[in-house]
Amino acid sequence: MLDDINKDKKHSSPRTKSSSISGGERDVDYVRPADIPDQELYHGHSFLTKWIFCQDAKVIGVQYTLTAVFTGVVGLILSWMMRMQLGFPELFPFLTAESYYQMVTMHGMIMVVYLLTALFLGGFGNYLIPLMVGARDMVFPYVNMVSFWMFFVAVVVLMASFFVPGGPTGAGWTLYPPQAIIEGTPGSGAGILLMLVSLSLFVIGFTMGGLNYVITILQARTRGMTLMRMPLTIWGIFTATVLALLAFPALFVSAIMMTLDKVLGTSFFMPVMMKAGELLAYDGGSPILFQHLFWFFGHPEVYIVALPAFGIVSDLISVHSRKNIFGYRMMVWAIVGIGALSFFVWAHHMYVSGMSPWFGFFFATTTLIIAVPTALKVYNWILTLWRGNIRINVVMLFCLGFIVTFVNGGITGIFLGNVIVDVPLSDTYFVIAHFHMVMGIAPLMVIFGAIYHWFPLITGRFLDEKLGKLHFWITFLGAYSIYFPMHYLGFIGVPRRYFEMYNSPYMPSTIGMNEFISIAVFVVGAAQFIFFFNVVKSIRLGKPSGKNPWKANSLEWLTPDVPPAHGNWGEKLPVVHRWAYDFSVPGAKEDYIPQTTPPSEVIEAEVEKT
Amino acid sequence: MAGLIKKLFGALVEKPWEKDQVNIDDAHEGSSFSKLSPQVSAVIVIFGVSTVLFSLIVSGYIYTIPSDQDTMFLLQSNLLWFNTFILILVSYLFKKISNDLKFGKLEKIKRNLIQVGGLSYLFLFGQIFFWYHLMSTGKFVSTNSYFSSFYFFTALHGLHLLGGLFFWGSVCSKTLKIEKEKIIEQTKNIEALSLYWTFLLIIWLVFFLIVFVFNDAVIAFCKSLLT
Repeated sequence: MLDDINKDKKHSSPRTKSSSISGGERDVDYVRPADIPDQELYHGHSFLTKWIFCQDAKVIGVQYTLTAVFTGVVGLILSWMMRMQLGFPELFPFLTAESYYQMVTMHGMIMVVYLLTALFLGGFGNYLIPLMVGARDMVFPYVNMVSFWMFFVAVVVLMASFFVPGGPTGAGWTLYPPQAIIEGTPGSGAGILLMLVSLSLFVIGFTMGGLNYVITILQARTRGMTLMRMPLTIWGIFTATVLALLAFPALFVSAIMMTLDKVLGTSFFMPVMMKAGELLAYDGGSPILFQHLFWFFGHPEVYIVALPAFGIVSDLISVHSRKNIFGYRMMVWAIVGIGALSFFVWAHHMYVSGMSPWFGFFFATTTLIIAVPTALKVYNWILTLWRGNIRINVVMLFCLGFIVTFVNGGITGIFLGNVIVDVPLSDTYFVIAHFHMVMGIAPLMVIFGAIYHWFPLITGRFLDEKLGKLHFWITFLGAYSIYFPMHYLGFIGVPRRYFEMYNSPYMPSTIGMNEFISIAVFVVGAAQFIFFFNVVKSIRLGKPSGKNPWKANSLEWLTPDVPPAHGNWGEKLPVVHRWAYDFSVPGAKEDYIPQTTPPSEVIEAEVEKT
Repeated sequence: MAGLIKKLFGALVEKPWEKDQVNIDDAHEGSSFSKLSPQVSAVIVIFGVSTVLFSLIVSGYIYTIPSDQDTMFLLQSNLLWFNTFILILVSYLFKKISNDLKFGKLEKIKRNLIQVGGLSYLFLFGQIFFWYHLMSTGKFVSTNSYFSSFYFFTALHGLHLLGGLFFWGSVCSKTLKIEKEKIIEQTKNIEALSLYWTFLLIIWLVFFLIVFVFNDAVIAFCKSLLT
């Protein structure tokens, strides 16, 4: 064993010096000597290579985040316009039926794909994966850089559709054919083509990034970092990336097929059709095939957003309640189980498409089964908080906000998972309320909590706590003001996607409620600018945080520099001796034991069962 | 396979907080599959993603086959057999390269690597020529779902091959310049390329069998599913 260590002095950590065996007994601090040579990194020297075409995953993470947030602001403005029409119809003459449908479509696609997916996997994934697993960078930094620029071009192409003749597509975010590419639908010319090209570019770019995330997590962890010592954030991002790598091809295939249908006249999704009394050239295609492909991507997409959120919120709750996460193994199993099950539930989005009742039965059953590991996670978050030393700071507020919002949205999901309940509620505002709660507001709560948590690592400064609390309360209460009434609107049958609906006899009763919801949307949207102001102000004027201000255990807080430099770890890679959840361990002097602390330094600490 | 399953799922039952497990974990090197280089790992991941991609195209093909589809549209050409043979030949050459890597036969490696690239380009040229042949006989991408799927699949397969040729160019240019003792530096890259071409061959063979060799049987099977 000593020979092994001497062979590789160059790469062995300081800890290996104490790994000598004396008196035939094993050294408690023994770590394996490094087998793999250190990663060689390309260090940019010019502004261009250091900040624009940068290969540092942390910079790429920030680039992803800024681009995703930009698209998110566009999505937010679109939602304001939509609510303006729904709450105060005909107030603005430029809000026509065509432009309304275009806004609905672009809002949906931007928020789901270009904001949430890009932010969780591209943003948090890039910034946190190498740091949390103890790597210097992603395994293929150049490919990682190309991944971001593909995403950037995808966003540019998408935004370009606002400026082409006919405007962006107004086919609804699901882009169902045949109407998506047939004249009469807003943006059925260049708009839909740019959307499809943009989605294809997004998938290609994501595949490059996802390749990096998966291989870095599996193959480039530091010594001692076993899979079951990884923080749940990494488990969430890892599983979501695997889902995305397997689900995005369905989006890619459907986008290319629809492009071919539009441009070359193929009939992948186009049945025999007549337009203005004339028979079109299409023949033999299946619109239902598109629905299957879209939802084979679309439902895992829900968990591509949710699983990183689950992982991140687990870590935030554990750190800010000073307790180990309750049921770590169960949490990992639940993440993996939810990921696997998410590929067997897609057709619950298609109950009204005319499927066989047996299929409906199958997909309702799988949908209800997926609620089991999901509920398990909720119980574990609550049990982590139970008797914890809870710090009611902004991070914790967002975590608590996430739990209640996710439970709300999750329960309505159980309603809709049942065919018999879904059929009357399908295409109503109940569905809108459900998915905005469960995959809109809930993940956003985690994103905000995570930014408040990791901002000191990225900038070396805290975000302003008072502004943060103001931001939280307006967002939280405002979100409930928007989506609680929407459940009621759905129950009374208000259909989604309608530009105006006031000729129906029962619709006047919804006018006041629609106005209230719209005002809440304007307020909640405006409150996000408090957050932007807080970020801009705190980057320069925020209170300096120093190293590891939250007294966390995971590796990202243990870098020699704050913010971490390129290569993350200085000369020596860290060596891991424990999981990331040793908080308030009985017998330990401090209420946290970082992952790099060797057993000899905390001999008095007692192992706590979980 | 059993080892892989044990490695993947065996890890999930570990209890990282227990003393015995701590001793085992502290000796862990970090990598989950230490025998796989990042390059080979990347090819395996691409294999997984692309398999889903091509499977979905085949699923779409099966889904959209009309119940009155008959064999009048089937491809009538021996060129596809020739192209298939070329792809098999490329995989055989990669096998030879792998053997030569073990014995450090640099000259043979260089020669075979060049042949691999040349034959791959020949395969692409053959596919394009076959497209030209189809179009000259009035079988376009929009003719029916059979040809739509055929053009789509072969185009994506060709793009995958072009992507592989991009990396082949990079590896080949480096290999042609290096001395014998430094071939070890390119071993992982060449192994990854070899695996990638094997994957391209598997994908092509499956598709070729479905749409060309056993097309009657497949169509009959699909009809039985649809009815």
